[in-house]
Parts: sequence; structure tokens; C-alpha cells
Amino acid sequence: MGLGIRALRATRSSALGRIYSTSPIYHRILSPSSPSFFRWIVTTPELQKPDAAAEPAPQPPPPPTPVGGARVQITKPEDAIEVFVDGFPVKIPKGMTVLQACEVAGVDIPRFCYHSRLSIAGNCRMCLVEVEKSPKPVASCAMPALPGMKIKTDTPLAKKAREGVMEFLLMNHPLDCPICDQGGECDLQDQSMAFGSDRGRFTEMKRSVVDKNLGPLVKTVMTRCIQCTRCVRFASEIAGVQDLGMLGRGSGEEIGTYVERLMTSELSGNVIDICPVGALTSKPFAFKARNWELKGTETIDVTDAVGSNIRIDSRGPEVMRVLPCLNEDINEEWISDKTRFCYDGLKRQRLSDPMIRGSDGQFRAVTWRDALAVVAEAAHNTKPEEIVGIVGQLSDAESMMALKDFLNRMGSNNVWAEGNGVNPQADLRSNFLLNTTISGFGKADLFLLVGSQPRVEAPMVNARIRKTIRATQAKVAYIGPATDFNYDHQHLGTGAQTLIEIAEGRHPFCSSLLSAKNPVVILGAGVFERMDKDTIISAVETIAKYGKVMRPEWKGLNVLLLNAAQAASLDLGLVPEANSSIETAKFLYLMGADDVNLDKVPGDAFVVYQGHHGDKSVYRANIILPASAFSEKEGIYENTEGCAQSTSPAVPTVGDARDDWKIIRALSEVAGVYLPYDNLEAIRCRIRVVAPNLLQMDEKEAPTVSAALKPEFTGKISKSAFGTTVENFYMTDAITRASKIMAQCSATLSKRK
Amino acid sequence: MFSPAVGRLSRRLLEIRQLFAPSQVKSLSSRSFSTALNYHIDSPDNNPDIPWDFTDANKERIKEILSHYPSNYKQSAVIPLLDLAQQQQGGWLTVSAMNAVAKVVEVAPIRVYEVATFYSMFNRTKVGKYHLLVCGTTPCMIRGSREIEDALLKHLGVKRNEVTKDGIFSVGEMECMGCCVNAPMITVADYSKGSEGYTYNYYEDVTPKRVIEIVEMLRKGEAPSVGTQNPQRIKSGPEGGNTTLHGEPKPPPCRDLDAC
Amino acid sequence: MASLIKSAFQAIKEKGIRNVVNELKEGGYGKCLLDGNLLQTKIHNIGATLVGVDQFGNKYYENMQCQYGRHRWVEYAKKDRYNASQVPPEWHGWLHHITDHTGDELLMLKPKRYSLEHRENFSGEGDEFIYHSKGHTLNPGQRDWTRYQPWQPTPKS
Repeated sequence: MGLGIRALRATRSSALGRIYSTSPIYHRILSPSSPSFFRWIVTTPELQKPDAAAEPAPQPPPPPTPVGGARVQITKPEDAIEVFVDGFPVKIPKGMTVLQACEVAGVDIPRFCYHSRLSIAGNCRMCLVEVEKSPKPVASCAMPALPGMKIKTDTPLAKKAREGVMEFLLMNHPLDCPICDQGGECDLQDQSMAFGSDRGRFTEMKRSVVDKNLGPLVKTVMTRCIQCTRCVRFASEIAGVQDLGMLGRGSGEEIGTYVERLMTSELSGNVIDICPVGALTSKPFAFKARNWELKGTETIDVTDAVGSNIRIDSRGPEVMRVLPCLNEDINEEWISDKTRFCYDGLKRQRLSDPMIRGSDGQFRAVTWRDALAVVAEAAHNTKPEEIVGIVGQLSDAESMMALKDFLNRMGSNNVWAEGNGVNPQADLRSNFLLNTTISGFGKADLFLLVGSQPRVEAPMVNARIRKTIRATQAKVAYIGPATDFNYDHQHLGTGAQTLIEIAEGRHPFCSSLLSAKNPVVILGAGVFERMDKDTIISAVETIAKYGKVMRPEWKGLNVLLLNAAQAASLDLGLVPEANSSIETAKFLYLMGADDVNLDKVPGDAFVVYQGHHGDKSVYRANIILPASAFSEKEGIYENTEGCAQSTSPAVPTVGDARDDWKIIRALSEVAGVYLPYDNLEAIRCRIRVVAPNLLQMDEKEAPTVSAALKPEFTGKISKSAFGTTVENFYMTDAITRASKIMAQCSATLSKRK
Repeated sequence: MFSPAVGRLSRRLLEIRQLFAPSQVKSLSSRSFSTALNYHIDSPDNNPDIPWDFTDANKERIKEILSHYPSNYKQSAVIPLLDLAQQQQGGWLTVSAMNAVAKVVEVAPIRVYEVATFYSMFNRTKVGKYHLLVCGTTPCMIRGSREIEDALLKHLGVKRNEVTKDGIFSVGEMECMGCCVNAPMITVADYSKGSEGYTYNYYEDVTPKRVIEIVEMLRKGEAPSVGTQNPQRIKSGPEGGNTTLHGEPKPPPCRDLDAC
Repeated sequence: MASLIKSAFQAIKEKGIRNVVNELKEGGYGKCLLDGNLLQTKIHNIGATLVGVDQFGNKYYENMQCQYGRHRWVEYAKKDRYNASQVPPEWHGWLHHITDHTGDELLMLKPKRYSLEHRENFSGEGDEFIYHSKGHTLNPGQRDWTRYQPWQPTPKS
């Protein structure tokens, strides 16, 4: 789009220039001083005016602003060089390419194969520019900028070069834009409008290419492919699966896997975004909507603890697709397949009406008034110490706050979030957060993963680790059950035994830990559920102390959380009072908690399930209160690095569902324990009292490093191996378990892993 | 005065003639550069489940080949290794052979597939024991390579890139092999004796009659003399002996190397 | 006038008074007295040629003596409730001087397999005749615009 507007501007200004350059003729003929025997017939009326040429010459346009917020950071002043882009001098650091220099200068160069996060291929030739004293047009994406280089991007030569390249690209590209899913957001479409010729000379047959089967997520129409190899480079560099390749040569060249195989990456959906044409499109989204019909809402993903920034594209009440949003600190511009394709789970198995289980065991729909009255009565009939609340994976901070306040007013303090285990360490934020931050991984040179499989637990974290490994040759060591990594790693052991050995300095890995400059230790949140977690945590802390992992300038001890609600729940202090309270509970309030084991709940307990999906826990519930999903509400989620972000509603709630905190607020009134907040601002004020950092949106409040790392570890440690926390990457929460696409993925992709 | 009209007329006549001329030239776009599709379809004799490994003799040669390259750039050896695998396999590369190469050079199999599909001399479909390659580049074509190919195909009763029923011969086309001075030429890749006795011989100055003789000699197990098939010529010298350059060539007049 | 009365008497004599009255009733002559349009059409019809009758019984007249542009007209079969949408498409062209082919000729061009019978416009005739869009509650085939699938409570197995 931006390219199109720029091109328009460029053509307009050049047209003006042409008029002005010829104006002396008009000046001579039309000026009042000259004897005008005849009237000059022109079709442009402004030229008939005698003073047309007397207008001041057009001011040179102001220096343009960088494209897309391109920033230049010149670390060493002696490394800065100056180049001239269309006559404007630009200071850039040494080593930048001509294309990047042009971007800094505010000139957007058309490109297909160049992608700022992938290696440079230079095979589409669309980015040709003219460089003074160069005999040929130069492919700007692959050409390093040299001091004093005079780059010209809008000369006739550059324009003609682009036009020619575009003609070649369109030669074998089918004219099926009307039936192409990329139509409207297609780089080739936009750039052929902006830079292409208005006619083609190609009269031969176009080639056709057999479509490849890349699995249930990516649809291929390989005839549309223009061989930019972005997907090949993405697969091998970012996703780390060497599946795709460029096969054949010349006009027979095609992208493929050669042998029949699916793309088994958890990031495979991103090839849809980076494909500049419609060759790789989304299979679930195929032929569902046009991109201009969609309303985009920038929000946060909640399927894992990373909190990837996403854009929910909706049409009317329906979520049509999910796209990534740029956030350099969290997900760059990628998202995992689970984030991208779980959206159809938002439309299935939804709880739309409050329901009460009758005496016959059947649910029947009731009104909110009746439902709340029943819940309030049940709560009042229970002893306060027998009231338990459990918060699910997808809860936002507001609803957790409201539930905790409500149950506190009822006299119980047994509120916790699932996945945190017993006695979670909620006092020091550095004990449950990813202290290094995801972007901070870039400086690390050694990773020690303890019971954590980031590839399935947090694919975006894994992508960042992989990026670091590619860039700095960092080493990865791993303790846990054998699992799939998409980078080289050293498997030290499967259980806590290895951890103890390292902590006691008996393991050969200790030497590499000591020699590492910026070591990173990542503890998986799966160990929270273990009985010996305190020992494991203190062992890890011992390693951290021993390996100088926690220093004032480098905080390398991390905990990788599993779900979106975890960090905020610990910040809000959702810590149970008694360990085994679920076994004595008589009134159990489940707020979207589907992964708690309800077998131990006494049979006569009154279970309230408040949530948006009819998932596991619904079947035990006595009463169901329908709530809204993350795409339908505004709520604060804190990601695993302690960065609070807010979702925004993209679609209306389904049926009679309400926001979680509003339900609890209404319930509190029915129950006679009035909660003093009526709107989002008020409840956020309440959150500010408890955890002020949750209101600092998009900011990471650095956790204080606890100086008193517990050096000794005592207590028994079990010899059992660390468990696999995420059994099935594609189905981890209520939304993804309801999703058909995710079911397909786990059927076809997981079994191959 | 007439020239534009005449030019137009002649162009039109040319178009009409081209329209009615029997199309001898096969459509360029349908010409395949390689012997196979760019993707693999499992077949009983070519699928990834067939076990395949280099022979012990070839494993020694792999060591020798790999010693040419730095140990951290093993993947540079992919082309010599593919060639070796092709010789061992009998002229073509199965998927499992390519996988074996990938294992040796420690890259993902797709990187080997990329190389193997790029180069047209890696055959990914079965070829005969004697793979006859007819040069189809311009000098040979002018000197009648099409007739030679037609004669071969007619004699063997196959189509291009097809293997004869007995599995001995197959005919393919290739690009210039640098024998233009002795055009037309064919190459015989002899895979009958494995990678030890593998030869790759040029037969130059062939005629439709001579290629059939060569084929029959190969069938009988004889070894036709390589090089030019014209008895009048010695290597690439002119027919009937030199007509020029009889004496010792004179040194360049203005360069006295001793004086330097 | 005299000839008209004479022919009327002739008809009564031939068919009997009852039949003639019935015929006049069916022809809509009774309505003529109340409906000026119909009366005018009836008067117009005198001396005009009947070009054809369509499947609904609408009669198409032509009189070349009339002013050009007013020389073709229709006498609707329905005498009480007539409107222009009762003219089937094959006659529409002839009636509006689009073509000189009569509807009977054009009927032969009508595709057999997929063509629909002509229906007049029933607007204002009641709910069952009104077009309702696919989301309208009164449309019997109302489309389900619910974009989510609610959870169905099933007894715990």
C-alpha cells in the first residue's frame, strides 16, 4: 500500500517537473509583454493564464522520514558512512545494504525475496536501483552501501529495470487474482500496480507446477510461486526444519520437499505471512473472506505464556483469522501455529447460557438472576474454609482479582491458579519470571534448560533461542525427557539427579557453565507440579550462584511459565492457604480451570464452573456461568517475562455470556458481599493496590534480584525424570481443545514428531 | 517508398510459412532439462525405505574426496559424492542414495535433493547400462545431431530418456561438451562395470550409420575407439592431414623473450 | 351504434339471453361500468386485431390506425386486479415495441430446462407473497447466522 502511494507521488511530481521544464516556451508566448497574435490552445486551463510560469518553482520536498520506523543505531561513530539517496545525504553504519540505506532515507524499495529477518538471497531482482558509476542497475538488497555512494531510486533506468523484472515475474504468474486468497494483500499485486508495466508482451504458455501437500495449515498453489525462496529460508533459519528446498533449475524451478512430507514446524503458519504472493496461503482461511472485509483488532495471544502480539481479523461476530503483530521484544513478527489457527475453537463448544444441573443430572438453561442466586446460596451454606477457588489458564488479571476479593470476603483464602503447584514462590517476582527477557536472550552464550521444552511450551521463546544460537553459536544444554529440538543441544540427563550433580560441581558441564560469559538457566514451570520442587528450585539457584548467572548486569536465571494467567496470578498473590484444600472443598469455584484434577473433589461439593468453553470441568459442575473468551473482552495478561499487556475486544460475546469479573461482581452483590468496583477503571485501581506493575502496559518492570539466593538445598529429591509438560502442543487449553484445526494438526503433525 | 510495405509483406509471408511448415522443432517450453520430475514419487525401485549404502571401496574414496575439503565444509563434497553414488547405483540416484550422501556430508536431505535436481547430469530415473547422451547444442545441431538422435532412437526403439527393454541402453540429450570442432558427437556413460570401471567417453564426428555401429559394438561388449570416428582425421585435426601450420610456428615478431 | 345493438340482438337470439349475459360477465363488461380503464380498453378493442393470447389469458391487440406508439395494448385476463407485471416476458418485448416478434413466436426460444414460469408481482398481497431476505424471520428457510456452536449439555458418561 505504502509503495503504491509513493509511486503515485513519484509519478505526479515527475509529471509536474516535466511541465515546469517546458514552461519557458509558454512563458515566451504567454507573457503579457510578448505580442500575442494568437491564442495558444492548450487543454490545461492553468497554462492559459499568463502568469502560469511566473509561479515559484516547486520547493524541493522535505527530507523524507524513514520507512516503517527504520531506526539507525550507530554504535561507533567511526563506523558511520554517508551515502546519498536521491540526493539526500544519509548517515548509516558500515555494513548496511543499499536497500537498508534507502529505507533510512525514506525510500521504499520494492522487493520480494528480501526480508529483514531472513538471510539475503538476492534472487528476485526487484530491488534494482541505479548507483552512480555502476555500469548496471544494482540489486540493492545484496549490495553493501559504500561511503559516498550515490544511489538513485527514481531514475528512468531504475524504473525501467523494475518494470522489466516485473514483466519477467509476471511471465509465469497466473492471472488468478480473483480467486486467490492473497488478493488485496499481495505484494506482487501491489508492486505490479506501482512499478509494473501496463501491458505484457508474453504470449507463450505459462508453466504450471504441481501443488505440494504441506499439512493441514498451509495451502499451496505452487503455480503462483515466484521463487523468492523466503519460505525456504524461513524454514531452515527461523523454524529450523530443513524440509523445504528449491528444486530444479531454470523455468522448471519449484519450491518443494522432493519427497512427500509435511511441514512439521510449530511456526509453519508464518510462511503464509512471508509469502509475497498467493503460493502459500492459510488452509483454514481459504476462500472464507477477503482481507478488506475484515476488521483488525490488535490484541494479545493467551494460548501460551509468551503473550504474542496478534491481530484478530474479524467479520461481524466471527473471528476470521489471526495474524501476528510486530513486537520486537516478544514475538518479533512471528507467531506459533497454535496462536494462529486456534481461532476456530472460539466458535465451537461455547457456553452461551447459565445452566444449572437439575436433580436428574441434566443441565438446563436458567436466567442469570436464578443462577447467581443459587451460587450465592450455596456459598453461604458452606463453611468459609471449605470454599475454594481455582483460576484457569486463560483468566485475565481483573477476573483473578475479583475472584480473590470475592472469596476473601466470603472468608476463604483458598484461591490459586492452576499450573502453579502447591506453595508457589510468589514473594519474589524474580522467582517466577523470565528475568533475562526474551529479547535479552540475544546476548546469551549458554542455555541450560531444566525440565523445559520451549519448542512446545513457548515456541516464540524457542525461536529466540534458536536465533541466538544461529547468531552467536551459543550452546544449549538440556535436562529433561528426550524431546525434539530444532537446534543442536547437549542432553545432560533426564531428571533431577543430573541437576544435583551440576549443583555439586561434579558434572562435566560445570566447566562450560563457568566459562560462559552470559549463561542463561531456564527452569520449566512444569516442575512446579512436582513434590520436590523446592529442592529443584534451590538446586537451580545453587547452580545460578555457582555459575554467576545472577549478576547485577546480567539476570540469567529464568522461569518459563506455561500459561497466560500464571504470571499475573502470582503477582496478585493467588496462593492457596492449605495444600490439600481441594479434597475437603464443599464449594469449588472454577474460573475456566479445566486442567485441575477434579477426581479428588468430594462428591457432595458444589462446583461452579465459570468459563467460555464446555471443556473438561464442565461435566463435574453443578452450575455453569458463561463467560467471554479473550477475543471478546478487555483484560490484562502478564506474560512470562513480566510484561503486562491488554487484550482488546474484537468480536461481541456469544449468547448470554458476560465478562468474568462482571459475573463475580454481580455475584458478590447477590451474595451480599459487595465488591466496590463497577467498571474496568475501578477494578484496575484495585489491581494497582495489589500489583502496580500490572497496570504498566507493555513495560517490563525489572524484578529485583534477590541477593539472598538460597545456596544450600536440603530436602529429599525424587529420582524420577522430569515430565513432559506439554504432551500435545496443539491442544493445551479450552480453546485449542475445542478447535477442529488443532485436532487435525495433532492428528497429522504430532504423530510424525 | 516500398520498403515498409515490402517489409510487412515479407514478415507476413514468413509468418504464414512458419504456420504451415511441418514443426520440426519441438516446443522449447516442453523440453526437459533433466531426466525426471522435480519431485519424487515413491515406486518399488525408488523409495526412501530401500536401504542403500556406499560399498566399502567407495567408502575409501569418500574419505579421499572429503579430504579435499575443510572438515567444517563437508557439504562442499556433495557433487563428487552424488557422482560416486550415481556410478555405484548404475547411472541413477535413488532417494535412498541421496539420503546416504546427505548423511555423509551431514546436511539435511533436502539440500542434497536441491543439488541433484539442479544438475541435469544427475539422473533421478533409471537409465541403461550405457547412457547415450547426444549433444544438442548449436554446432552439433547444425552438423546433424537431430538425425543422430533420431537414428539412435529408431534403432533402439525407445523414446528419449527411456530405457530399452533389456536395460542396456538409454538415450538422453545434453548440452555442449566442448567438442564443437568435431561436431556432432555423442557421449557414452558406461555404468555397466560399477564405479570402478566407470567410463565416460566421447565419440565424435559420428554419423547416423556410425552411431548404430557403436551401439552394436557396445552391445557385444566391444570397446569402440573413442574420439573422432572419421578415419580421415587425427583428433581434431583437419580431414586428410594439415593444410596449414606445416612448419615450426614462428615466434611473435615483436617479442624477444630472451631480451626481457 | 345501431349495428352494435343489432349484433347484440343477433347474439341473444342465437345463444339465449343467459349465455350472452354470462359471456359479457366473463368478458368483464360488467366491470366496465365501474372501471374506466377497462371501459376504454374495451372501446379501443373495437376494430383492432387480436395478435395473440398468452398462457394467462391476457389478450394482445394491435391497431395500426392508432397513433404510433399507442398501437399495441393488452387486455388483462384479470378484470379486477390487473397490473403490468402480469405480462409474461415473451410478450413484454412485443408490447413495448422492443421487438415485432409476438410472444407466441418468442415462446419457442424459451429454454426448456431451466426457465421458470412467469409470476406476477404479489407485493402488498400478504406476507406469504413478500420476498424475505435469507436472514429474515419470516423467511421459512431462514438462514442461521449464529457464528458459534453452543456447547450441548450431555449427561456425564
